[in-house]
Amino acid sequence: MNIWSISLQNIRSKPLYTFLSIFTLSLSIALLLGVQQLKTSFKNQIENNLGKIDVVVGAKGSPLQLVLASVLHIDNPTGNISYNEAKKISKNPMIKSAVPISYGDNYKGFRIVGTTKDFTTLYNAELESGYRNEKSMEVILGNTVAQELNLNLGDTFLSAHGLVENTIALHADKLTVVGILKPTQKVIDRLIITNLESIWEVHHHDEESHEEHNHENHDQEKEITSLLINFKSPRALLTFPRKINKKTSLQAILPIYELNKLYEYTSIGFKTISWIAYLILIISCVAIFMSLYKMVKERSFDLAILRTYGATNFQLIKTVIYEGLTIILFAFLLGILLIKIGFYILFNYMQTSARINILQELSFEHILQIGLLIFTMVILSITMAIYPILKMNISTILSNEK
Amino acid sequence: MIQTENLTFQYKKSEQVFNFPDISIDKKENLLVLGKSGIGKTTFLHLLAGLLKPVNGKVLINKVNLNALKINKLDAFRGENIGFVFQKKHAIQSLNVLENLEARLFFSKKSINKIAIEDLLEQLDLLELKKSKISDLSEGQLQRLGIALSVIHNPQVILADEPTSSLDDENCKIVIELLKNQAAITNANLIVITHDQRIKSYFQNTITL
Repeated sequence: MNIWSISLQNIRSKPLYTFLSIFTLSLSIALLLGVQQLKTSFKNQIENNLGKIDVVVGAKGSPLQLVLASVLHIDNPTGNISYNEAKKISKNPMIKSAVPISYGDNYKGFRIVGTTKDFTTLYNAELESGYRNEKSMEVILGNTVAQELNLNLGDTFLSAHGLVENTIALHADKLTVVGILKPTQKVIDRLIITNLESIWEVHHHDEESHEEHNHENHDQEKEITSLLINFKSPRALLTFPRKINKKTSLQAILPIYELNKLYEYTSIGFKTISWIAYLILIISCVAIFMSLYKMVKERSFDLAILRTYGATNFQLIKTVIYEGLTIILFAFLLGILLIKIGFYILFNYMQTSARINILQELSFEHILQIGLLIFTMVILSITMAIYPILKMNISTILSNEK
Repeated sequence: MIQTENLTFQYKKSEQVFNFPDISIDKKENLLVLGKSGIGKTTFLHLLAGLLKPVNGKVLINKVNLNALKINKLDAFRGENIGFVFQKKHAIQSLNVLENLEARLFFSKKSINKIAIEDLLEQLDLLELKKSKISDLSEGQLQRLGIALSVIHNPQVILADEPTSSLDDENCKIVIELLKNQAAITNANLIVITHDQRIKSYFQNTITL
């Protein structure tokens, strides 16, 4: 028998109130943790996936769309640009590397990117096995692609036209896996990489089989989706895009700027959820306060009896505090469980359609921060509930026994 | 051993001043305090227990002046040396019979001896109910538990406030005999405060307020 067992018996004797307190508190904890986790994951995803890309050059259209398609690989491209023109731009002395990328196909929902060897260095990706793609129709796989599709070196597959998984518009030429990349936690993990020629050839062959082809124009027709540029010095960030936007029919976009804008938009949503979470936190603190205050008031006779047993005021206060602490502990565990289950269900559903997994484990500091906030709020409600104990007049309570 | 000297008390916001007769009882002696409702019986009892502070006079239990003790010392002294029996409510609702007795010992800083507890429950015919909830006990059982709680820690004084008023004749007799019995076993002074004339014959020392 000690103060803890008295507190625990108190909790057990009013299961409904206890459940309500724990449930609302855990809901608020889950929401706060969830928002924080999504926010950091999202921000991290954006920063991580930029790699060394300073500027994206592509066809005119929505800048955000161009960035989403060329950097995060989640939207459709704005259109194609001439490869010759892109090559001309690449000769600019301010440029350290310019990587052309060309889109058009997918295999089981994973995008196939036609590009040059420099693409992997943008993300510091290294080969895990096999060798680099040299010839047309050879591909190297991002680590996630290899794992999820269970593809190995030497395997072959047919790509599908478009960026969405389908079996209707299959190309006739087989692609062969020659290399697999190490995991990078960046977007490259989810891409299939080949050279530009493979993309052109696949589409060229298809055109040939469908209609008469005009061979003379073929070389000028070579097109790519966009050009990913890494500068020698950051000074070029100011002048280069302005020049492109003014003097050519193309657009040059700073992806970091667009993605920060996107982040700003989404943070309104995050803020709203946060406010809802704070509101629930207040409600749950009121519930805890009411539960404890009710205990103190209704059980004032019990508390007075405990005083006649020799309990000090401080010991009575401890029974109330321990009760509150037990509720916090259970609520925190339940809250973490709720958010884990919630995200598991959410991302299981999302992965089948979008094939994007952005979730990151929440850092200890974030959990601590939220924990402290909850703790402070609950301690505040406990303190208010304790007040009647301090003002308690045992004699009056005992004389009013009926 | 209890003595009072010139005890007077006045509630805040009240004109009525209570003057109480001096009492002095030796070891193993019992006292019955009779009086009508509103005469200040419970006030007198609370003064004896140090739950109220007198305007004048003092209470001595085993030569310790309660009114000179600091609040924490007084709480500890009360827990250790005084046992209470109330009229109806006796125990903590959220704890069962056994846990109540354990809590009683815990707060008066006495070691918890399961055999002694079960012995006492046996004597009061409560052993089979040791795991029962307080709300499941009958009035007679509850009153017997009240007696157990008042003596489990071997107090110097047992103070009983209307212990028999809500009981029928049969239970009244059982309870008062048990109280006297337990007080005798633990060598404690028993002071009963009541308007219940039925128990007059059980006491040699009687005062009327």
